[in-house]
Parts: sequence; C-alpha cells; structure tokens
Amino acid sequence: MYPIDYYTAYTGGNITIQIRAVIYKVVLIALVGLGIGTITSVTVVGFVELVSWLNDKLLISAKSRVQHELSAYLLPAMTILVPSIGGLLTGWMLQSFVEHKRALGPPDVILQAQIHSPAASFKSGVASSLAAVVSLGCGASVGQYGPMVYLGCMLGNMFARFKILLPNIGPICIGCGVAAAIATAFNAPIAGLVFTHEVILRHYSIQAFAPITVASVTGYVIAKLFFAREALFLVNFDGVGHSYEFLFFAIEGALCAFLAVLFMRSILASAKLASRSGIHKMLQPMLAGLILGMLALVFPDVLGIGRETLRFATIEGAFEMSELVLLFSIKMLVTALCIGFGFAGGVFSPALLIGILFGAWYGSAVAYLLPEYFSSIEVYAVCGMMALTSAVIGAPLTTIIIVFELTRNYDLTVAAMVSVVFSNLLAWHLFGRSLFDRQLLARGFDFVAGRDHTILDNTPIVNFARQSYQVCYMDEPVKVLVERLATHSNAQAMVVNRNNTLLGIIRRRDINHSATDIPIAALMQNVDLCFDQTTSISQAMLQLHRYKGDVVPVIDVKKSLLGVVSESEAIQAYTQTLQNLREEENAVL
Amino acid sequence: MQFSRLCWYLSSLLLLGMNINLNAESQMQSAAATPQSSQSLRIASWGGAYENSQRIAYFEPFSQATGIAIEIVQHNGTLAQLRQLAKGSEPQLDLIDLSKGVAIAGCKEGLLARFDISILAPAEGATHALEDFYPDSAFECGITQLISAIVIAFDDRAFPGDKPSSVSDFFDTNKFPGKRGLRRDPEAALEWALLSYGVPYGQIYDLLSTKRGLDLAFARLSSIREDIIWWERGSEPPELLATKKVVMSSGYNGRFFDRQMKGLPVSIIWQGEIIEYAVWSIIKGTKARTIAEDFIRFATLPKQMALQASHISYGPTRYSAWRKIGLHAVTKQPMRNHMPNAVEHISQAIVKDPQWYASTEELRQRRFEKWLAKTQN
Repeated sequence: MYPIDYYTAYTGGNITIQIRAVIYKVVLIALVGLGIGTITSVTVVGFVELVSWLNDKLLISAKSRVQHELSAYLLPAMTILVPSIGGLLTGWMLQSFVEHKRALGPPDVILQAQIHSPAASFKSGVASSLAAVVSLGCGASVGQYGPMVYLGCMLGNMFARFKILLPNIGPICIGCGVAAAIATAFNAPIAGLVFTHEVILRHYSIQAFAPITVASVTGYVIAKLFFAREALFLVNFDGVGHSYEFLFFAIEGALCAFLAVLFMRSILASAKLASRSGIHKMLQPMLAGLILGMLALVFPDVLGIGRETLRFATIEGAFEMSELVLLFSIKMLVTALCIGFGFAGGVFSPALLIGILFGAWYGSAVAYLLPEYFSSIEVYAVCGMMALTSAVIGAPLTTIIIVFELTRNYDLTVAAMVSVVFSNLLAWHLFGRSLFDRQLLARGFDFVAGRDHTILDNTPIVNFARQSYQVCYMDEPVKVLVERLATHSNAQAMVVNRNNTLLGIIRRRDINHSATDIPIAALMQNVDLCFDQTTSISQAMLQLHRYKGDVVPVIDVKKSLLGVVSESEAIQAYTQTLQNLREEENAVL
Repeated sequence: MQFSRLCWYLSSLLLLGMNINLNAESQMQSAAATPQSSQSLRIASWGGAYENSQRIAYFEPFSQATGIAIEIVQHNGTLAQLRQLAKGSEPQLDLIDLSKGVAIAGCKEGLLARFDISILAPAEGATHALEDFYPDSAFECGITQLISAIVIAFDDRAFPGDKPSSVSDFFDTNKFPGKRGLRRDPEAALEWALLSYGVPYGQIYDLLSTKRGLDLAFARLSSIREDIIWWERGSEPPELLATKKVVMSSGYNGRFFDRQMKGLPVSIIWQGEIIEYAVWSIIKGTKARTIAEDFIRFATLPKQMALQASHISYGPTRYSAWRKIGLHAVTKQPMRNHMPNAVEHISQAIVKDPQWYASTEELRQRRFEKWLAKTQN
C-alpha cells in the first residue's frame, strides 16, 4: 500500500476509505503478532518446562544427579540407559510420524520463508517437536533452540492459513513465530527480532518488521510472567583493560572460525557416516545415545545443554587447560554424533558450549603468555562462545545482540563484536554462510547468491506456459494446417494424437505449398527441445538462449502437451518472479 | 518460576468463592472442639530474643483477646525433633514455627496438617490475603511468615578506612587481614565460596551440585583456612566480634542486630545474604486445629507482624505488614534497612534451597569433614 496522500491522489480523494483501510491493516498486523506471539511463547515455555522436568526425573540435571551421588549402580546405569532409550524413542517417533523421516529444524523454516515451499504437515511438526523434547530430556548433546524455531514456524503457519489478511502473510507468520520463540527462550526480544530477519527472512520490510516486533515483545512479556528471572548469562566484567586486547579478540575470532568449520564438517561427515553405516534409521540415535552415555560416565559435562559447564568456563581455575581441550573436543564429537545419527535437536547450545570452553582455553593461554596484557577470563570465554556460534548459525548481528541481551554488559558486547565478525568472515570463505545453508545445499537449494537464484531454480516454467498455440493431428492433411497458420503468426505447430500426446513438431518453413495433400506425418520432425513440469525458470532461460526455434513445448510425465514457452514467456516469468520478491521485501502494509 | 504462584492464585480465587461457607463451618467446629481442647494452644518456637518478640507481638495479645492460654515448647528445628513432637494420634503439640525446608520435609512425611489458605485475613482495602503475601508463601502444609538471613558482619573498629562490602572481601585476607568466624558446618560457607567467583545468585545450587562446583568452593575455603575460627552456636558470632577474636564472622542477622542495638560497633555485609523462610504449620491430628488456625490468622495480621518487626530484625512476608514497619521499640532506630528483605538487600540475596539441602545433607557433611581433616594437618 502507498502512503495515504499518494494514494488519495489516485483514488479521487476519498481519504476516509483509505484511512479506514490503513487502520484495518495496522490492527490486523498487531493482532497477528499478538496472537502468534502468545501461542508460541506459551508453547515454548511448556517445551522448556517439559525438558527440565524430564532432566530432573531422568537424572540428567546436576541437581538431580547429586541426590544419587552415593548409589553405586543407579547413576551409572541411568547415565547409559537414559540417552540410549531416548535415542530409540526419538528414532521411532521420527521414522514413524514425520513424513521427512528426520527432525525438522531451522533449514526447513528458512526454505519455507525464502522460497515459499510448502510446510510439513502439522502432525510431522508435532512429532518432530516431541522427538526434540525426548532427545533433550534424555540428555542428548543437542540444542534446544533449533526445535523451538521450528515450533514457532509451525504455530505461525497455523495463522497463515487464514488468507483473509495481507499479501506475503506466509513468511510474516513464520517470522512472528520464530521471533516469539527466540524472545521467550532467551528472554531477549531484540535478538528474536534480529534473528528472524537475519537468518530466516533475510530482508527487512516494514510490513514484516511491525508484526514480528509485536510477536517478539509478546514472547518476552509472557516469558517474564512465567519466569521471573534475571538475564540468562550474568557476567562480572568491568571493561577491557588494555587496548591491545582487541587484537587478541580478533585472533580468537579467526581461530573460532576454524573450529566452527571443523564442527560443521564433523556434523555433515557424521550424517554421511550414519547413512553409509547400514544401521536401520530407527536405531541410529540409540547408538549415538549409547556412546554419549558411556562418555558421560567419565565426562558428565557433555550431557545435555551443559548449563553448569557454561558457567564454570567463565571461572578461572575451574578447569585445567588440558581438560578444556579434551572437553571441547569431546563435546564437538559427541554433538556431531548425536545430530548426524538422528537425535532431534539444534546446534546452537552445543556451539555455545564448545565456543566458551575454547574461549576459556584461549584466555588461559593469553593469561599464561602475557599476564600483564590480560583483563579477565570471562571476556575471552564469552568472545569464544559467540564467535563460534555466529559462524555456525551464520548470524553475526544476532549473536552480537544476544551477547548484549544475555549479559546486559556493553563492554563485553563490544569485545565480542570483534571476535564475531572475524569468525564470520573467515568461516564464510572456508565453509559458507552457515550450517543451515550447507544442509540446504545438500538438498539442492543454493542460497549462496541470495534467494533470487534459488527461487528461479525452483519455480517451474510450466506455470508461465502459453496456452495459445497451433495444434494439428497426425492424420490431418498439411493443407488444414496451412489454412490455420495463415491466420496466425506462429512459425511452428505442435503435432499431437487424439489423446493430446506430443508426437513431434512441424515448422512453417518446411511446408511446401505446392504439395499440401500429403499427411502431416510426412513433414513432422522430432522434438529437439522439450520442457517438463520440473523444468525451472532458470533452466528454461539457459536452454532457450541457445535454441534456434520459436517455441518449446512443455509436457507432463505422460507426454501430454501442457503449453508452450518462448523466450518472451521465460523473460516474463523471470521478471514477474523477481518483482514479486521485491514487492515482498519492500512492502509497507 | 512463578507458575506455582499462578496456580495458588487461581486456587485461592476459587476458594474465595467458598469462603463464607468455610468460615461458617469452622465456627461450628470451633464450638464443638472448644471444651475438649480446654482453651489452650501448645506452640513450639525457638527461644531467645526471637521468641521474646513473638510473645510481645503474638502470644500475649492473642491470649488477651481470646482468653486462650498459650503454652510454649522450645525446639531445635530439626526434622528428627519434629517427628518426635508430632508422632502418635495425640501429638504433644498443636502448632510449630519451622524453617521452610524442614516444613516441606515434614509435610511429605505426613506430620503436618494440610493448610487452608482461606483462614488468612485479607489486608485492609480488599486485597485478597494471598496477593498481599510474597510469592509462593502458601504451600501445602503452612504459610511463610518471616524472613531471616545468614550474613557476614565485620568489626568496624578493625577496618577504620576501607570497609569490606562483599562476600569476595570475606575471602580476601590480603585486602582485609584478620581472623574470620565461620560456622563449623558447610551451610553458607559453600554458597559464599562459590559466590566469590562471580557466580550469579540464582545458579549457586546448580553449580554446587557438581563435583567441580564443590571442588571450587573448597579451594576457596582452603585459601583462608588458616584464618578461620569455627563457631557452633548462634550466640557465638557477636561474642567473637565483641571480644576481637575475629574481624569478620558469619552469623544470623537478628543476633548481630541485637548487639548493634546494644552498642557493639559491627556492620553487616548484605551482599550474598542467605535467606531462610520461617513458616507456621499445624501438627497433623491435633485436637486444637481450629484454635491453631485462629492463631495463624491472628499472627499473620499485618499489624501484629509489624509489631514483631519493631523488636527484631526479621522481616514479615506480607507487603502490608512491611509498609507498617517503623522504628525499633526501644532504641527508636528506623528498622527497615535492618531487615533481610529490604529492597536494597534482597536483590543480592541467595535464597536457601530447602530441597537441595535435604538431598545433599550427607554429601556436604562428608566432603566438609574430609576437607577439615585434610587441611588441619
């Protein structure tokens, strides 16, 4: 919609109607944000509570483990059995109830928002989310934010079904859900807003910005109502002591990039290993759970989200330096194993833990080598945590905002910012934008050059095929065709049988006007280029560019003719598609 | 987590509807029970200045108003003693003042009667009673009535210049040299040791649940081991400070306050205060249940709570009672900033986790004794 005065000039000055329309849309946008924000936030609170309840009952959380500290068998037995059985349950839930046979997560959300691909069924979404609750509840080394992002997207989609509202309602609803989920889980509304735009929507339109902000704030308010908690990650930090330390933060960021790439590659490699292993998909997570459980007997820090370990990493003297290296290496391997072998969960929380352990190690190393130039271990730990995470999720701005909202510490944010950007820069070159984008690439969706290409690669040209073209039947004489062609400018005609099956093509220039009694079959030529329902706009453009003829037929799997495409249809398809995207990205109301 | 608060609030709203009915019923019961209970109420309390403040604010005014005699029994606050006092079909006790942790444990064992929130009087001006209490004050077997704290106090004479102001300073013997008094028990010491590393208040018990957390805490205690003087009874810490045997000591905030009012130059470090709740609970099977309920209703009236707070520096759990707190009854000093739940103190408090205490009793004692034995050599 245009601004009011601009619009009124067009519509003969009926300003009342225009104002009414604007108010209607503003109210609607606010209601969409409020509705999705509320539902998502309450669901996310339930998700978190359920996971922590399971953690307590299944002896995953530190507080529950300490109660059975004396028992010789119970704790070790539970440590091995709980993740294994959790794995089996997860495998069963994913294979039986999710149509994709895997956990749904941020890549699926990105795909929906970017190229408007159809959402997975509600049943699949619920099953995947419950599988994530089981995985996290049983202490799998996976994150909780990925499943929450999907949960937000799924609930947002419920609203998108009411098509009464606005153009582009789909991505807006998804965005609202995601923002509310992040705002609730982190107690961080700005991070929710920025994450949604940076990772999911990847553009900033006022039309989307307003409802997403409303949803984000709603999530935050509801989270406050249920958990009266302080900032999630309070750190005592009085500022960077020496200006040279910013150089150390930059180097730390670069090192984190390498570690992040290693982490992401391990996840991809582990998934490959799982698919080649020949183990039934339902049993794969159980195997990962068993290995995790056995490792956790010696290193309990690798179980679950590791909230306590995250805190210990900011305390000087909590770990030996060698212990830090051991722990972040094991956590990385175990997480790759858990995700690759099909536990349902994200990468964000494990990335935080690996990053902070590495940061603590780096900080200790700096303190050891240059004790005079060192402010405190906390700042190095937090820089490491955010630098690694940012490279994994491909969202520098979000991570910087998260540091700010989680620690409420300005100096710390400025320090972490330096590490984050260097990590992102390097990881982008070494690996790609994020783990999500690489996972999508493996499924055939390439977002490296933005979504324009992906959409052109994934929109079939058949939607734009022309329906007016010359048809003739095999058994007709050529003169019938000559008469038809006389009234049209077409240079070609499609030859079909009575079932509309494409048999060949006949060109105007091949017709000899002195011999028009012969049957069409005699002049018909084979089709040298032909599109089908899967041919995308970009494929069509590429092939048309080299094509000598006039139009290209489009057929379905049974070879029935669906229409024809010439270069002008392809250009039309191209501009129309891009124009739709630009309209979405610049929409105001 | 305020979910339980919400539940209580909703259930209390429901009960509000039935209130009139319940009251009518309890009056009938009261009439029937009175002759048997021979108009007396047996209450267990803690003795000392604290019991004294209760006598002035609750016991005597209640007896005067109702003619019911109150018999005081003293107890040491342990679950073992509660079991003894509450056992059998004819318990030796009707009502008890307990720490919340023990009350929760006693409730689970079925020693305490189910608490009926409708007996609480609403505050003046129509707010419903529970809304006037701190969140989570009411629980299955009682009502939280009072807040006390374990704190660190220091001798003002020992530090004329820079004064210690945080728990970290307690462990910093370079900056603030001198002996430290600590209870010969892991209580409070472990929390403070970990807090001194910069751990947020809300995460202390999670971290203490891990071996790494306990190791860190004991490492911190080891760093001041040679300067620790152990105390065992609550009356000792002010004495240790008065006689200059220590420059800082842990202790109960009410005890320090009592000596402050009598002129001892000590100051309290409120940062890291460890807050404990006291609750009123009715013994299961008592024949004087209705009288006990009447007493709880009386003893949680804002006016009476504020009266107690003018004698001792333990804070009431009712907002309207808090608003009535004025000056000390004898010294006429303003009382509010001596209370553990003053706004400026409570934001830096560790709230003692009764569940954690109950489940780690053995572990803490074992690790503590082991550490003591190791460091004494």
